[in-house]
Amino acid sequence: MDKNTSILKLKSIQADTNACVTIIENDVKTHEGLLSDMPIALKDNVITKGILTTGGSKLLSNYIPPYSATIVHKIKQAGGIIVAKTSLDELGMGGTGTASFNGIVRNPHDLKRQAGGSSSGSAVVVAAKAVDYAIGSDTGDSVRKPASFVGVVGTKPTYGRISRYGIIPYASSLDHVGYFTSNVSQAARLCDVLSGHDPLDQTSLPYAPTKTLETLSDDVKGKVFGIFEDVIKAISDEETLKNFERLCSALIERGAILKSISMNEDLLRACLPTYYIIANCEATANHSNLTGVNFGLTQSGENVEDIMTQTRTVGFGTLIRKRFIIGSYGLKDENQEKLFRQAQKVRRVVVEEFTKMLNQCDGLLAPATSSCAPLLEGANTNVLSNTHLIAENYMILSNFSGAPSITVPSLPVNGLPHGVNITCKIEDEATMFNMALAIESCVKELL
Amino acid sequence: MKRDVVIGIEIHCELKTESKMFSGSKNTINDTPNIHVNEIDLGHPGVLPTLNQKAVELALRACMLTHCKIDTLLKFDRKNYYYSDLPKGFQITQQFHPVGKDGYLDIVVEGKTKHVRLDRIHMEEDTAKQYHIDEHTYIDYNRAGVPLIEIVSKPDMSSALEAKEYVSTLRNLLIFADVTDGKMEEGSMRCDINISLKEAGSTVFGTKVEIKNLNSLNNIDKAIEAEIKRQNDLLDQGEVVLMQTRRYDETLKTTVAMRSKESAVDYRYFPEPNIRPILLQPSFIETVSNSLPWTPTKWFEYLIDLGANEIEANILINNKTLLDFGSIVLKEVKDTRLGLNWIISELTSYMNSLGEKLFETLNAYDFALFLNLISDKVISGKQAKDVLKWMIESGKDAQTLVEEHGLKVVSDDSSLLNWIDEAIKENPQSVIDFKQGKDRAVGFIVGQVMKKSKGQADPAQCNALVRQRFLEQ
Repeated sequence: MDKNTSILKLKSIQADTNACVTIIENDVKTHEGLLSDMPIALKDNVITKGILTTGGSKLLSNYIPPYSATIVHKIKQAGGIIVAKTSLDELGMGGTGTASFNGIVRNPHDLKRQAGGSSSGSAVVVAAKAVDYAIGSDTGDSVRKPASFVGVVGTKPTYGRISRYGIIPYASSLDHVGYFTSNVSQAARLCDVLSGHDPLDQTSLPYAPTKTLETLSDDVKGKVFGIFEDVIKAISDEETLKNFERLCSALIERGAILKSISMNEDLLRACLPTYYIIANCEATANHSNLTGVNFGLTQSGENVEDIMTQTRTVGFGTLIRKRFIIGSYGLKDENQEKLFRQAQKVRRVVVEEFTKMLNQCDGLLAPATSSCAPLLEGANTNVLSNTHLIAENYMILSNFSGAPSITVPSLPVNGLPHGVNITCKIEDEATMFNMALAIESCVKELL
Repeated sequence: MKRDVVIGIEIHCELKTESKMFSGSKNTINDTPNIHVNEIDLGHPGVLPTLNQKAVELALRACMLTHCKIDTLLKFDRKNYYYSDLPKGFQITQQFHPVGKDGYLDIVVEGKTKHVRLDRIHMEEDTAKQYHIDEHTYIDYNRAGVPLIEIVSKPDMSSALEAKEYVSTLRNLLIFADVTDGKMEEGSMRCDINISLKEAGSTVFGTKVEIKNLNSLNNIDKAIEAEIKRQNDLLDQGEVVLMQTRRYDETLKTTVAMRSKESAVDYRYFPEPNIRPILLQPSFIETVSNSLPWTPTKWFEYLIDLGANEIEANILINNKTLLDFGSIVLKEVKDTRLGLNWIISELTSYMNSLGEKLFETLNAYDFALFLNLISDKVISGKQAKDVLKWMIESGKDAQTLVEEHGLKVVSDDSSLLNWIDEAIKENPQSVIDFKQGKDRAVGFIVGQVMKKSKGQADPAQCNALVRQRFLEQ
């Protein structure tokens, strides 16, 4: 796909989907590499020097950064051309694409439906075939869930595989750079481009970039697919279940071994609340820099404290303020032990259990979401149901543990896109892409 | 009523690193404001901290010198609060796992050794510097992110004198280890003093008052004395001491309340997620230990061995810049005694007038060569004072200046005898005076020779030759 086609397409879908915050027309190729001439979109929480970077927040709606994220340099060095900064739920918080300062993002397959979030715009521009590559970030499932809803490949490599330097954070210990591509082979290619140690990120893995593209194969003979039973049990949508069974049979036909694996249900149900405490606590501290003192939509005030208060009051949406309050509450001296520290302990126990599950197979497979994308209006969620706590949100397990995880489009549900997710052992992206490619081939045959 | 004084001290000490604690910006606080600043120091969105290894080494040095137990698993925490000098909205510090714990420092007060226990040493980053001009507040981010260690003592001191000695001893120890430049006036070392009074002999502590940001040894002394008096007066009048943070006001010569401690903020400390715990390898710690510069005590012993007396040794130890200079000189110079004399008498007086600027023009190797010209009798002691003055003024080396000014000591017999014979011929009375036992005649002729030679004649040699000539007459 060439740059001009890409920009025309981005413009043509903007009115319907609201996928972009900024369309960039003047970037050119500066190097040759794995991405030569490829137009690429960046989630608007990726810092770009000299180009508006809003993080989806009104507070940063005038923010022109003085530096670029490490991945921006990597994309440029690989020959990529940056064509857009895409819409996201404010500061990466929210899973629906409805919490951005610049309005709701809509699913291109059905404008009445969500695109999912928080990397909504990046998911949409790949789904609309405006680009083949779009960067997102994934703190809970912010790449892998929208990928399922819009029918594209959504990848989140191992924690530390891709540098976070220059990504506006949500929750540092859970944040991953992830991305959307049109197919699995492109996903492997982008992993090879973006990965590699970054001295500016102390949580970055101490390895050279991956070389997953060279060895990419769809041969899964003898590969053990762990089937995540608890997730299947929590899904009631029959089409989703039937599709999943068909996919499983196709994998078996290719010589894959399927093995049912499960986890303690109480522990699984505890994941989402645990996630919220950790994420909100870290987020409230991470965003304490947004005060209007040095940058942002600074409001006037009587004194510095007043300026900070006014700026944050005007600059943040309701959802964000709610989360900051929860985060502050969880970190308070009198609450920290029973909330934040307790959540961290639960996380450790969950990670231990999850690692045991991953050790019983080559990759853990389940439908990425319980059904197709929900409607923007009238969606009714029972937040204490297993459908919500487990089937809709189990993918945060790989944010807890840092394991590589990918969503691949599967058979449609209700005539709309729907994906399956595969999660592999820490640092084993090669197996992840291998299994994902096999799924992609199976789905092609089944369609 | 007789009361005991209980004092504990917290010292913030800026580390002598090239770059900042968590960013690559230069660590220089006294420069044009806001030029050593990058996106990390300004707390821009998306930045991440990178730990400065040199800062860790210097913190380890401080721990080793104060006998602290070193925690080999480095961990950092966030201290959260909103303030305009804290761009990230949190400070990265070591609340839960300080790098050093349970150390001590022995200090000598009025001839007696006092054992002061240290609670902890931890690493953290400095905030930006704020200052006010008219109604405006200015922020200098050069200081934002400068590496610090905080050294916290146990409440083991009981007088202003002990407190002052503790700070002074610790400061010298850290300056010698190149951990900090220790410039209290410039803020690279800042003291907070916790002070309370209790009934003499009682084990129950009184209410603690914190005096913040004392910036000289002198002010530590004055502030503590003033605060002891203030608390004693209050208690004498049956009033209570409030738990407060105070500062020392130099004009009022007393401490002034800044804020009440009861309204203490909850800093919501939690582990820093962007720095994974770092395990310090034994080999790394060993390297740091092996590279520890000499302590003041070690220097003292060395200087005494070289032939310095205690007074001289102490002068040098209390002036690290001069000691650094002098130690090179003393290695290069032929006559150490001569070297010590010139360093102690001449250089200290030049330092009094010029400060450290002295060493911008004068280098230690040139100074040693200059001293060797004296001991080789190329120039006289009298000429030498002029030469040193010119060296400092011009930055030229002694040899060049001696040549430029045509100053060499003439000590060969034939040249000297020429002048001597001329002088005796011009003053025949001198021979008669000498023969009559008037010894000053010798000095008179030597004086004439000095004149004739424009001061270049070697006086001792000349003296001997005049005597010889008189006897021959």
